[in-house]
Amino acid sequence: MNERLTTLKNRVRAGTHRSLRQVAPIEILTECESRQLSWPRRVALLVRRQCEAEHVIIEPDERIVFTRTLPGVPPIYSPEEWAQLTVGRTLHESGPVSNICADWNLLLSQGLLGRKQVALATRERLVDEPKAVEFLDSAIETIDAVLELAARYADKAREKGRVEIANILGHVPAHPARTFHEALQSLRFCHSAVWLSGNYHVGLGRFDQYIWPFLSSDLRAGYLTVETAEELLAEFFISLNKDSDLYPGVQQGDNGQTLTLGGVTPTGDSAVNELTRMVLRVSRDLAMIDPKINLRISAQTDLDLLSLATELTRIGLGFPQYSNDDVVIPALVSHCYALEDARNYVVAACWEFIISGRGMEVVNIGAVSFPAAVDQAIRAGLTAQDDFEGILDRVFKNIDEQVHQLGEAYSRLLLPPSPFYSIFMEGCLEQGRDLSDGLKYNNFGIHGACATNAADALAAVRQFIFEDCSISSGDLLSALNANYAGYEPMRRKLADEGSKVGNNDTVADTLLVKLFDDLADACEMYGHTPRGGILRPGTGSAMYYIWLATGHAGMREPVVGATADGRRSGEPFSANLSPSLGVRVRGPISMLQSFAKIDYQRICNGGPITMELSDSVFRNTESIRKTAMLVRTFAQLGCHQLQLNSLNLETLLDAKAHPEKHTNLIVRVWGWSGYFCELAPEYQEQIIARHYFGSS
Amino acid sequence: MTSGIVFDIKEFAIHDGPGIRTTVFLKGCPMSCMWCHNPEGQSRQPQVIRGLAGDRIAGKEYTAIELASLLNQQIDILRANEGGLTFSGGEPLLQADFVAEVIDLLDDVHVLLDTSGYGQEQDFRQLANRSNLVFFDLKLIDGIAHQHYTGCDNDLILKNLHLLNEMGKPFVIRVPLVPGVTDTNQNLADIVLTLRGLSGLLRVDLLPYNKAAGSKYRYAGMEFKPDYDESQEHNLNTELFEQAGIKVNVV
Repeated sequence: MNERLTTLKNRVRAGTHRSLRQVAPIEILTECESRQLSWPRRVALLVRRQCEAEHVIIEPDERIVFTRTLPGVPPIYSPEEWAQLTVGRTLHESGPVSNICADWNLLLSQGLLGRKQVALATRERLVDEPKAVEFLDSAIETIDAVLELAARYADKAREKGRVEIANILGHVPAHPARTFHEALQSLRFCHSAVWLSGNYHVGLGRFDQYIWPFLSSDLRAGYLTVETAEELLAEFFISLNKDSDLYPGVQQGDNGQTLTLGGVTPTGDSAVNELTRMVLRVSRDLAMIDPKINLRISAQTDLDLLSLATELTRIGLGFPQYSNDDVVIPALVSHCYALEDARNYVVAACWEFIISGRGMEVVNIGAVSFPAAVDQAIRAGLTAQDDFEGILDRVFKNIDEQVHQLGEAYSRLLLPPSPFYSIFMEGCLEQGRDLSDGLKYNNFGIHGACATNAADALAAVRQFIFEDCSISSGDLLSALNANYAGYEPMRRKLADEGSKVGNNDTVADTLLVKLFDDLADACEMYGHTPRGGILRPGTGSAMYYIWLATGHAGMREPVVGATADGRRSGEPFSANLSPSLGVRVRGPISMLQSFAKIDYQRICNGGPITMELSDSVFRNTESIRKTAMLVRTFAQLGCHQLQLNSLNLETLLDAKAHPEKHTNLIVRVWGWSGYFCELAPEYQEQIIARHYFGSS
Repeated sequence: MTSGIVFDIKEFAIHDGPGIRTTVFLKGCPMSCMWCHNPEGQSRQPQVIRGLAGDRIAGKEYTAIELASLLNQQIDILRANEGGLTFSGGEPLLQADFVAEVIDLLDDVHVLLDTSGYGQEQDFRQLANRSNLVFFDLKLIDGIAHQHYTGCDNDLILKNLHLLNEMGKPFVIRVPLVPGVTDTNQNLADIVLTLRGLSGLLRVDLLPYNKAAGSKYRYAGMEFKPDYDESQEHNLNTELFEQAGIKVNVV
């Protein structure tokens, strides 16, 4: 990294650009009300007024511009009107459409003016359909607003004698991009404008596919060298880190600015190109949390690419996250995705597999709490003197009930109109329909959370109550009710002995597989949603590994007390697919073998095997290559997703004690990476308690 | 059917030989090196380790068939990744019959024996015979110093080294660099002299001293009492080896 990039990076990390921010969000409610605007028109007005209110910021050393100065997105309805509008309906998270991915190629290949032409043509065709006209007028209003903002930036650049920026902004985002630099600038503007519109978890999609044609022609023409291109790329990445503190998320860093690399083309050929490698290198050298990188691989991916990716893992950002095309693509196809779309999948904010520009999917409508389903079944089943099969039947009923409740809650889902975001979705402008009215794919995702603790608890009951009868059901019930107070020897036995997920041991693994089969069965039995989609089961845990243990305001799922795997009340669960905290496991191979048993063809919503390697593992090129082999093994075993982290336990402990010395320490939290010292203590503790596979 | 005591099985042991390997740590060692970094491997018997997260028992008894079937579950993966199994310890020679039986029950896989070389000739022979590669420790050539720092003399070790060479097995010599003890120019020169002309020698690995070793003693209820200065700089004299035409690595 050269000096200019270092300065840009340090400035963003220090947050000096935040002093340019305006004090308060703008106010547009009065105008919305006095003009008695419809919902789509209010959103369009919001985008217009946000763009108008933005201050133009061009730093002397920047070549890709746009610095957000508005601190928030103002309300367009009063609380009373909003309550009336949404009565009896379910809102997803905080309401706005989020966690989907645009087809950014629509922007780069047509420009905003090209998209406007499409909107105008459709408007002429559908002039007798008021809803379509209203949507198209709203979309056109937002296009004009963003173009005016870009024009103000261009004027200011010209005024300041910044010819390069002025020329680029004289062309994009209005017109199709012609160069790599224009493509990045156009993307920076419109990606930011989606955030300004109130949408969040705004993904970047298959970046190495839609950007590569521009880079490739610039390299061929000699406009750019690999070095000058990498410098622009690094600057673009730095710009994505400017506004993280303004983005809504459970914890800071949870912002969904992900991109997806590699994989195959829609015709099934390898999609890896020089930009794939360039992104991995630049991200490694930059060491910032955004963009978060996903790499699509297969059993055939060569070790050189995996070694380069491992070098990125080595610096401890918690990415790239790997997904396995060999498993994911057929799983999507068996869930009714067209083959060419399945081959084009990207990873959403955390893990879920979605289709850019073609999916209005809500990939995380909630979690099935496996610990609750299992714990209730164990307590009720033992009390009723069920046999083990009886307990398993109860587990299924509980899972099915939870799925049903989530499905029913979301049958009343209300999605706000998003005219600007719709511009970059296939068919919206062409058919005069807002994306909130649905796209080609409209499925919902439900994750089965904290499965390993639940499977371990079932395994303990099977072994110690029903097989060797070394614990009586009455004693276990008393111990659970007492949170193991006075039952420490029993708790140790449950926690330390017997079969545990992560050791390639049949007893616990079979129960793990069954939990996910139950989830898949329950989702299948639920059938179609009113939005015409299905429920996709997944294997992620998100914040639930903390929330299910400690509770959280607004959470639907019950808090789970002491569990039969020897876990005390309040202790966190393990994240995603990883062994229960504190369980002894032999290492990464058995862990992969355990999780490879899940039938991922039925579980297509994603959710990674989460594995922590000590940073000492990455000492030399030989061990990096071995780690690359481990990643290849993950793919060869037929698992679907892998999150591999490099961490030093002593560093984490020191960061707890002396946060001021570790402001740049980055960790993977669940589906995203954040700065360790910006996390709530319970998340820090959970990370410290994970399994670390060391080198000696 | 013999059985043996194992104190750990560790997968993805990246410094224990080529490729992706799983290492089996056999419990019990006839030596008591002052710098031993696996103190829980010294005693043959299972023992309690009192860690920060609570107590656990180090040491589990397996029959040969139990251990072999556990290891066979992942042999395809190890083989596909240029790796295999490593038998380490403790000292595997101390449970040679057990280890030999386990190896005989394994599917086709690369086997590495990681040994101090201290054991009876027939034990050494049967394990070396079954191994594709041997990691052989050499600590001190001076017999008196060896007795002082490891609790036993080095006659058996040097004999087994030459036996290994005669067997035509490829081997790597591993030298733990203990400051002021094994890393002296005198000792390193003696090691070079000992190794001269051994045709099976692939290279020498120098293992810099690990200061974290001492902390494990407390958890094992043992006392760590080095009579050398741990904080002293290593003497990383690779030249002595290079001059003699011996390939040398610092691990």
